[in-house]
Amino acid sequence: MSVKKQVTENSKKIEISIDGRFDFSLHQHFRDAYVNCKENGQVFTLNLSTTSYMDSSALGMILLLKDHAESHSGKVIILRPSESVNKILEIAQFHRLLTIEQ
Amino acid sequence: MTTFSDKRNIKLALVVDDSLMQCKVLSVLLKEEGYRVFTANDGARGVAMYIKYKPDLVLMDINMPIMNGYEAARKIKGLSQDNSLCPLIFITSMDTDKAFIESIDAGGDGILVRPFSPNVFKAKIKSIQRISDLYGQVKTLQQAQQKDAELAEQLMSGVIEARNFSRDRIGIIRQAAELFSGDIQLTALAPNGDVNVMLGDFTGHGLRSSIGAIPLAETFRAMTKKGFSLFEIITQVNHQLYDLLPADLFLAAGFVSISTHNASMYGFNAGLPDGYLFSELGDIKYRLSSSHPPLGVLPNLLPDSQLTVISIAETDRMILISDGIVEARNEEGEMFEFPRFEQAAKEGVIEGDVSKRVQQTVNDFCKDMPQEDDISLIDIPCGGWQQLLVGSHDFENFPDKLLSDTSIKTPPAWHWQLSLTGKRLGLLNPIPMAMSQINEIEGNADHWQSLYTILTELFINSLDHGVLGLSSELKASAEGFAEYFKERETRLRNLEEGFVEMQLSHHPVPNGGRVIIKIKDSGEGFDITKYYKDREIDSAQKLKFSGRGIDLVEQLCDNLDYQENGTVVEASYVWTS
Repeated sequence: MSVKKQVTENSKKIEISIDGRFDFSLHQHFRDAYVNCKENGQVFTLNLSTTSYMDSSALGMILLLKDHAESHSGKVIILRPSESVNKILEIAQFHRLLTIEQ
Repeated sequence: MTTFSDKRNIKLALVVDDSLMQCKVLSVLLKEEGYRVFTANDGARGVAMYIKYKPDLVLMDINMPIMNGYEAARKIKGLSQDNSLCPLIFITSMDTDKAFIESIDAGGDGILVRPFSPNVFKAKIKSIQRISDLYGQVKTLQQAQQKDAELAEQLMSGVIEARNFSRDRIGIIRQAAELFSGDIQLTALAPNGDVNVMLGDFTGHGLRSSIGAIPLAETFRAMTKKGFSLFEIITQVNHQLYDLLPADLFLAAGFVSISTHNASMYGFNAGLPDGYLFSELGDIKYRLSSSHPPLGVLPNLLPDSQLTVISIAETDRMILISDGIVEARNEEGEMFEFPRFEQAAKEGVIEGDVSKRVQQTVNDFCKDMPQEDDISLIDIPCGGWQQLLVGSHDFENFPDKLLSDTSIKTPPAWHWQLSLTGKRLGLLNPIPMAMSQINEIEGNADHWQSLYTILTELFINSLDHGVLGLSSELKASAEGFAEYFKERETRLRNLEEGFVEMQLSHHPVPNGGRVIIKIKDSGEGFDITKYYKDREIDSAQKLKFSGRGIDLVEQLCDNLDYQENGTVVEASYVWTS
């Protein structure tokens, strides 16, 4: 499975990593990784450093995660996107919607 | 809806066994289960009977003369592939792993090893029939769905593509990964002759991604037709898609408006790969990069959003693409990428057919690889549009009597006016309101396009030069033109006071009418005589970045007059039917 989840600091920080292709086939796994994290003020870090490719449905999935985080007063940080993924984030101008840490 | 098993009441079974005794025993058991039974005593005969009767169930012995059970099973399964699943069960006394594996390999759906009791046999038949019925139902549903989808696709492309403007001059590639394309290409003609074009890419592909296409197409066309500016259209489309679509579904889109009389292109890219402006020699003159997240993600456009203004030559071509082109993969998993696209597009521009060249190059690159995403491109010529408008308004041929008609002294048939002040000036576009009044009172007609142009140009002059105090000297160069546009945005946003009053009155004349347009602004006015003098110098030096609007208005009106130090402009437009 290429969706990995790590919870730290009293469940306030959740890191989700995607390995390989990030596309619609991960829809369910990706959702499962965060849907039960319902505490207020959680920070979801999406580690895309080993993501080789991302399509537009992945962008949509990130937006769903953002909605989820914000509805629990939390936020989403995208961490170290690989070069090819960064290009896609840039075209979609996602840095204007959420934090991207290089 | 009838289920598959209802279609034929009596089920047919075929028993293939070289032992007459076995045939007899199995036939009796099957008849007790309500089957009509045919028998064959060798594999070859079994296949022939299968073809003749198309049974619902086949029982097959393994060791038989002429053609054994495995071979017969392979032939039968080969024949039944496209239709329903005809379950085939091997009946044998060979209780070995090998027999079991080989019978499944040959296409058998099960194996029954003798000896077995009549009840075990009947249970096996029932279970296999259940699976077969289920298979039939799935198949029927799948076919019905495919049919529905084909019909919906036909309707959809009818609504979307068939109503596009100038399909002969604007090149389009539209190669869908599934029956439904998540990509959409729209073209429409604005009342002032501007050509609005959009290429959109909804998240994903297939039916799910195309549900937003119809409302999008309707909004884009209706607003273009009513004369809303490109930015207003984009704002509305974003708003509509945000309301309509779930959070993970959105539209990456590029918008372009070709304005021949401003020799400019207005562009906006929200989430598409770079758009390209090519010269006729295939050189890249400008890249329209994405400057905004895709539409439908945010409730409103980001506050600093604005159109890019680019000056164009008549021979330029503007090309928008979706990511399906640059991300198309070949057998080695390599992507098509931008350099290959740019090279193909350049060749296409020189050859005069961009869509053909690009499509061919992408398909040659991908060979037989299954297409993963929708591939689309739109190729718009930047010139050759103006004739469409001016050609249809030939004032030379109007009878003199009509132009000198005294009907202007008679009271108007109707009168409409609107006064916008302060902040409202930056928020509202009065032109579509005025046009909608005219259309409602006088009916929809082609000649209102000219009136639209007159209204727009005069209103913008009053707003820009009068209320906002912008100098048209800024527009003296291509760079200045963009700067002008930026400055305009800033001043509009900070506008607190000032007004523009617009009055329209309509005076019927035989076979037509005369519309008097009067626009007054709160500006300081200008020296009219100096303006005309400057313009003569300008045109002598071919400095054509400003004043084109007024040239056009003068062409379209039979009279244009500035009053009260240039703070009031009055234009008269005559139409005949």
